[in-house]
Amino acid sequence: MNSNSDSQCYFVQLQIDSYLDGELGSTQKDSFMAHVQACQDCARELHFAQTLHDAVLELPLLDCEESALEPIHRLTEGKQVDAAETPRSLWQRLTDLFALTPGYARYAMTAAAVAVLAVMLSPYLQDQTQGPQVANTPVQAGVPPEYSPEDVQQALQELALAIDYLNDISERTEVMIGDRFLITPLQDSLNASFERARSRRQDRLQDDPI
Amino acid sequence: MLTQYRQAIDTHRQRIFSFAHYSLRTREDAEDVTQEVFIKLWQHWQKFDHGKLGGWLMRVAHNAVIDHVRKHKNASQIDDYAEVDAQGQEHDVARERDSQAFQQGLLSAIKSLDDPFRAIIILRDIQGASYAEIRETLDMSESQVKVYLHRGRRKLRANPQLRQLFDANVAQAAESQAG
Repeated sequence: MNSNSDSQCYFVQLQIDSYLDGELGSTQKDSFMAHVQACQDCARELHFAQTLHDAVLELPLLDCEESALEPIHRLTEGKQVDAAETPRSLWQRLTDLFALTPGYARYAMTAAAVAVLAVMLSPYLQDQTQGPQVANTPVQAGVPPEYSPEDVQQALQELALAIDYLNDISERTEVMIGDRFLITPLQDSLNASFERARSRRQDRLQDDPI
Repeated sequence: MLTQYRQAIDTHRQRIFSFAHYSLRTREDAEDVTQEVFIKLWQHWQKFDHGKLGGWLMRVAHNAVIDHVRKHKNASQIDDYAEVDAQGQEHDVARERDSQAFQQGLLSAIKSLDDPFRAIIILRDIQGASYAEIRETLDMSESQVKVYLHRGRRKLRANPQLRQLFDANVAQAAESQAG
């Protein structure tokens, strides 16, 4: 095989893939086929290339077993379960409840909750302010109240102020109930109120010579 | 979302798994890659353009295969061709190609190709993807895809084991014709 023939074979074999893909023009294709029919080496190369190409084309698409996708199904089902079935905390439920409640009802509920808490906490706070001796004193019928009506009125006014304060806070933050905004200010307010009432009573006792 | 996601899996699982299986050595590796691709699909469901889902998935699969090949480069594993043989039996192949040895040699030769030759041959010749799809998947121009495809095929033809098997089959066919 001379060098001219070698270079022809080289170029023809370079064109094999274009021929297999049907990308050769008619002139190129005629020239290509003419050479292949005349050259045994190139005919053999074309036969090999054609065989290989067809074999690759006929390789099937494969599918994985369903079990291989199980982790993916579990992942998606897990997300569903998380979203649908995870129990919500009490705080989340309360927040949702308040979010769905009209504004006026929110304030009413807040005020009612504060009043209930004030009633529940007042004996405890009273015991704290009066000390253990007073707490251990038996209550007798007919004993006059420890606080004057003015003191009680003052305490109620301060309680109302505390409620307003709490309402402002809950309006701003959309958090209606919580230790941070409710219990502590209420406790402080009531403590201050009782403290003032006690100091006033002591002042009165000191001023009274009898 | 869940329904669409499952539809996407059903639509693309064969392409993804085939791509991985023809690129990697074992079925388990291919399953790992398939799982990885669909988990990424779930994780990125909200983020990508769903009009280009096929291209996106193939890009992820291609990257996952490359990562897998890198990680397991030195691992000695037994090639798993039984599956391909079993599924390929449904197809009526020509006499030379009907040889199991030839098909195993072909699969081995494809897997041994470097990227992107391997990826382009699988996408174009096995899966029938268009040049535009391959361009999108591999982020290269169409002319580059064609060049790599032809070079990849020439590399396959240069595989001495395949050449030897082909010659043996041709000789056998000639003998049986003469006989």
